[in-house]
Amino acid sequence: MVVFSGAALLCALATLSVLGFMIWLSLPVLKSGMLWQILTDPWSPDQGRFGIAAMVVGTLYIAGLSLVISFPVSLGCSFFIQVSSPGLWGRLLKKLVQLMTAIPTVIYGFVGIFLLVPKVRDIFSYGSGMAIVTAAIMLAMLIAPTMILFFTQSYARVPRAYTDAVDALGGTASQRLFYVILPQAWPGILTGVVLAFGRAMGDTLIALMLSGNSVMMPSSLLDSARTLTAHIAMIIAADFDSVEFKTIFICGGILYLMTGLGVFAARLSQQRDRS
Amino acid sequence: MSKMKDKVKVKVRQVAFHYGGHQVLKGVNTDIFAHCITSISGPSGQGKSSFLTVLNRLWESMDGARASGQVTIDFGQGFEDIYDRKMSLPWLRQQVGTVFQVPNPLPMGIFKNICFPLKLAGEKNKDHMRCQVEQALKDAFLWDEVKDRLQKDARLLSGGQQQRLCIARALVLNPQILLLDEPTSSLDETSVAVIEDLLLSLKRQCTIIMVTHYADQVRRIADHRFVLSKMQLKQVGDE
Amino acid sequence: MKAGVQDRILAMFSWGCALVLVSGLAAVLGFLLVRGAPALSRELIFGSVAPLDALLLKRQVFYGIFPAVAGTVCLVVFSIGTALPVGLCAGIWLAEYAPRLLKQIFSLVVDILAGIPSIVVGLFGFSITIFLHHFLNNRVFPCLLISALALAFLVLPYIIKTTQTAMDSLPLALRLTAPSLGASRLENIVHVLVPAALPDLASGVILAIGRCAEDTAVIMLTGVVATAGIPKSIFSSYEALPFYIYYTASEYADASELVKAYGAALVLLLICAGLFGLAHLARVWVAHRARVRT
Repeated sequence: MVVFSGAALLCALATLSVLGFMIWLSLPVLKSGMLWQILTDPWSPDQGRFGIAAMVVGTLYIAGLSLVISFPVSLGCSFFIQVSSPGLWGRLLKKLVQLMTAIPTVIYGFVGIFLLVPKVRDIFSYGSGMAIVTAAIMLAMLIAPTMILFFTQSYARVPRAYTDAVDALGGTASQRLFYVILPQAWPGILTGVVLAFGRAMGDTLIALMLSGNSVMMPSSLLDSARTLTAHIAMIIAADFDSVEFKTIFICGGILYLMTGLGVFAARLSQQRDRS
Repeated sequence: MSKMKDKVKVKVRQVAFHYGGHQVLKGVNTDIFAHCITSISGPSGQGKSSFLTVLNRLWESMDGARASGQVTIDFGQGFEDIYDRKMSLPWLRQQVGTVFQVPNPLPMGIFKNICFPLKLAGEKNKDHMRCQVEQALKDAFLWDEVKDRLQKDARLLSGGQQQRLCIARALVLNPQILLLDEPTSSLDETSVAVIEDLLLSLKRQCTIIMVTHYADQVRRIADHRFVLSKMQLKQVGDE
Repeated sequence: MKAGVQDRILAMFSWGCALVLVSGLAAVLGFLLVRGAPALSRELIFGSVAPLDALLLKRQVFYGIFPAVAGTVCLVVFSIGTALPVGLCAGIWLAEYAPRLLKQIFSLVVDILAGIPSIVVGLFGFSITIFLHHFLNNRVFPCLLISALALAFLVLPYIIKTTQTAMDSLPLALRLTAPSLGASRLENIVHVLVPAALPDLASGVILAIGRCAEDTAVIMLTGVVATAGIPKSIFSSYEALPFYIYYTASEYADASELVKAYGAALVLLLICAGLFGLAHLARVWVAHRARVRT
């Protein structure tokens, strides 16, 4: 019994210590009162400015765009699996989507560089092809399986009694979907979206390889941008005692808090689902 | 068999039971007699199974269950409070065995299934175990049917055989009391008859308390009959 | 009829979305297959060294991805070796011992853990290195051990959740069997519950293995390098397959290196797909065993 609760305690402590470490290692920066500047300045170390504002915006743009692309497609696929073609085709798609969850992110990034970037470059004839849009497309593919599987799970939890009732009254598939399933399952859909957004914000490789990593504040979707995650990966090679280096822990802290908030939000909408 | 001659085995006083937020038993008071078959009937979902779990504290392994009151059992040394701190749960359950409504053989061979409680109790002597297994299977009217295939997976037996296996498994520890929760409701007619004969023969060794909703079964084998309704246990006319 | 039109729109929309997804997937996989298949050969993995010599560590492989594959394998072994016992015990505690309030709190903690971006986990691993470097021993550097521990931290929530779900979905009748025969709680868990939950657990562990094999962000911050050969000890730097792919994609010198990267990507994909298939088989095996019950 001690062994079991000890293990659990260890896990809980470790999780909290992640935040602890981020805060501890950001202390020098926090103490010097530079926090506000770090959050709002642009990033140009040569001029002594270490703001990560552009990175925060970059993260939101890329994750947001990927959600915008992925949500309708995921919704449509979930409809396909559950409602329109629950037979062979639906089952096939579901298996395919499950297989997609096994694809490593580095593969998406890799294929993105050599397949997608040249295409984006040609289509928009702007820049190098490495931009918010490119990263968002690949990211959309990464998060789609998460959303699709979550959505179909929520549809399946709708009590059979309700769907049977619609069928017995001569309802069609679309009526069953819009009048019964969606109204019941929307908390689950919301949870899926929140989780997918968290996943999109937390991804490193796709953004690192495809979004261009420019430190300028992005002004359009075709601009290059840098995410907080890619920023951490890039700065880690810098000099340890520099201020730049210490800012990455603030980035880490922000990411931890953002995804933590996402988890809370997902929990809340799951509570609504249960009731 | 006159009620006057029977010894009291179990005394239940002011037992209340809550499960999943609802109260299912309230102020239950009764005496159960030794070496008799006591039946408990009543509408389903009223707390009959819960009552059984109070008698060997099995409810403590169930999530969301809460019981209060006093239960004392005479194991041969006078009445003992089974909710006393010093009472050993494993020992209690060895003395008060349970057979569930749906047979639940463990995923192992027939022999291993019956050995399992012996191993839990710390029995190490292989020959001794073999004897006890054989005796238990004989007492459960199952030995002849399985003696040639003791290594076979217990889940491959028929429903009636599985239930007799579960009874044998409970018997191998020589319990003084056997609790049966609707033991025949998942079985076919012939198996029901076999189990009823089995229970009648087991009266010699144990006190049997049985939940059942079959009126004719009650008539056929019960010595004392109770009905559980409105969270109370009421005695009905004896045979 | 309004219902008819609605149905047709729904059908068109859902088929359209399904096709978009499938064609995207086909493009990615097809591209990789076409470019990577030609690269699949013994040279890809072992360079100019005979496979047996390389496997027995007699000779070093310089132009093949064998060191990267070996590094990945070592990573997986050490991280799963750490995460499995801890995760299993924590999951059992959550399913069997935790009182209601603690269960909810700890569940939340596990969810938070699952949501932490991998780069932040890598950063955490890096911070631990700094911590140890300052306070313990000046010779502590990012290495295989730290990467393995950080990866263990990454997959811990998977294992905890799988264990909890597997144990919670065991039927009540099975849970009460051993206690009704006089078993203590621990005996019930060890002799009956965990064996019954094993196939689901196996499936979850296999998926965790996949997660360890494919992760790049964590290892980038905790000790992976581009060239290090076979890891000499758990305190040395090492190579890994996903990092090899990333690194070559950003810094390849000529076409032949790029082709190797395609091959490596295909190998990684096949490994992950293979592990996924294995997990699927484990689940099918559960269904088969459940059918044994007559």
